[in-house]
Amino acid sequence: MLFLTRLAFKNLARHKNRTLITSIIIAFAIFFYILMDSLVGGMTEMSYSTLINYEIGHLQVADRQYWAEEEKLKLENLFTVDEQMMKSIQSIPGYIGSSPELAFSARLNNGSDELPVIGKGVRLEDFQTVFALADQFVEGSFFTPGEEQAVLGKRLAELMELEVGDYLILVVKDKNETFNTIEAQISGLAHTSNPNVNQNIVYLPLDLAQQTLNVGEQVSKVVIRMEKAHTASRVAAELEKKLSAGGDARLGVYPWNELEAVSFVEAQKIENQVILAIILSIAAIAIINTVILAALERREEIGMMKAMGLRNSEVVYVFVLESTGIGVLGGIIGVLMGVGGVWLMNTYGIDFERLYGMDLASFGMPVIGKVYGVWNPFSFAKVVAFGIIVSFISSVFPAYWAADKDPVQTIYHR
Amino acid sequence: MALLEMQGVKKIYEQGKIEVPALRGIDLTVEQGEFTTVFGPSGSGKTTLLNMIGCLDKPTAGRIVFDGQELGELDKKGLAMLRRHHVGFIFQSYNLIPVLTAYENVEFALRLLNRYDQKEVKARVLRILAAVGLAGLEDRRPNELSGGQKQRVAIARALVKEPKLVLADEPSANLDSKTSEEVLQVMLKMNQELGTTFIFSTHDPLVMKYAHRLIEIRDGLIAKDQRREQDAVLN
Repeated sequence: MLFLTRLAFKNLARHKNRTLITSIIIAFAIFFYILMDSLVGGMTEMSYSTLINYEIGHLQVADRQYWAEEEKLKLENLFTVDEQMMKSIQSIPGYIGSSPELAFSARLNNGSDELPVIGKGVRLEDFQTVFALADQFVEGSFFTPGEEQAVLGKRLAELMELEVGDYLILVVKDKNETFNTIEAQISGLAHTSNPNVNQNIVYLPLDLAQQTLNVGEQVSKVVIRMEKAHTASRVAAELEKKLSAGGDARLGVYPWNELEAVSFVEAQKIENQVILAIILSIAAIAIINTVILAALERREEIGMMKAMGLRNSEVVYVFVLESTGIGVLGGIIGVLMGVGGVWLMNTYGIDFERLYGMDLASFGMPVIGKVYGVWNPFSFAKVVAFGIIVSFISSVFPAYWAADKDPVQTIYHR
Repeated sequence: MALLEMQGVKKIYEQGKIEVPALRGIDLTVEQGEFTTVFGPSGSGKTTLLNMIGCLDKPTAGRIVFDGQELGELDKKGLAMLRRHHVGFIFQSYNLIPVLTAYENVEFALRLLNRYDQKEVKARVLRILAAVGLAGLEDRRPNELSGGQKQRVAIARALVKEPKLVLADEPSANLDSKTSEEVLQVMLKMNQELGTTFIFSTHDPLVMKYAHRLIEIRDGLIAKDQRREQDAVLN
């Protein structure tokens, strides 16, 4: 076997160009995967962070029936945050803050135009313990509690030709389906990496929203921020039990990683896995092509080896080892290229806005500005292993085809 | 003791819808230690006969017994093992492995046997290479050797494992008469000392001169089978 192994490696060296070309095809497949994985990883991290920091927090407490139709923003199935509920919420491990929120549909009116928006009534002191919006003001600042003021995204303001100090009008339907309006002065404009916050949301003092919508002390949800994002699912289950035990059985607790906005990011990751499969299929075709060419070129050699008494499995071993060697070489080259590519991406980032004139937010990704890659050693190992396995598997059948050739026909060119 | 027995061996090749008979019913017995030459015109069936004897090809009809083993009973693996341990091939077109040196090409045959340690392998390979006149050329690859030198490597590769049977298809075709003589002497020595059976397919009068038995094949049948006394050979 050792001799056959040596023979296989000598064959790799003998056909340097073919070995190198096939290795490079595999290397490029691996390189692109590593780059894509790093980019998607970076985008995903940025997206998660954006969603958590500006929109969804780590946990959301809401009525189950409200949650089922959350996107409709109905003023039904709301709830009041009582002291016991707050105690339960504040007792979760790693608790940082919580913000009650009343979300509602509204039409933003600037006096001449109207645009559908999402209104959010929030309590400033609580809101700031959960969301990082305060750092993202490009003009003005947060509203002053007790004042009839509002905050909105810079983009939305530009669209509606509104500025800080202007008055906006929100046309709403209250709980009794009666039209009402909220008039508020714009105290600040924010620009975050979350396109939804920038374009669709108007923040108001919670009491102003509750009063206008005629919902009393009720809110749509309570958004919670914790120290560790990865514990959200476990904590959500625990909190739900606690709330249920405290008599709030109708309330559900929803971790950030189960929310619809996050599912969208996950779907994009799956899309990238499909691209990976296509890239590695190309590598597999390259390997199959190489083995078949090698077998055709070395017909006499195969015939002679069989005449010398090599079993089919031993001939297969030589060919498969050669292909696996190509896979290993491709893997090494691909990883080296990948390390360089990821380093560049981590150091300099990719500015999609500069490259394509549109930022990723235009494609629905909650990412604005430069995108940086992430190092994922597991992904490096995975794709190299996958490349080697693809090289191995894709060579087995053509190797059997080569090994099964009639020695007489191969030796005498019949 | 018979090393090989062939009874009613036929081989028909199919070329599209046409059947081409290569062997039409061969009955042949070869004793252990024979030094035999098969000759005949092109297309008479010499190579096909050698392939049958060497377990490279299966007959369409008839039976072949090699060293007491009915070949029809063996599967591909069994035939491969028989070739590995007991048969050495020398082909006219050398069929050396291009990436291996002369030494490694010969070593390959021994390594497959898994019978000798490294030291013994080296000693045997160097000895046989020297015997065929390739001392000092061990590290050359086939593309660095002349046709005659390649043929000698192929001969060394067939002989190094000291098989029971060596089948040689035009072994002297690329050798000058002096080298042919030297190589034949090596084979004859093996034949005499180890009892190795040699069957040649050739037109070379020199090889025929050394043979103890001359078998003429015509149209897929044995036309003449002439044995010569040991003493008559070379005279």
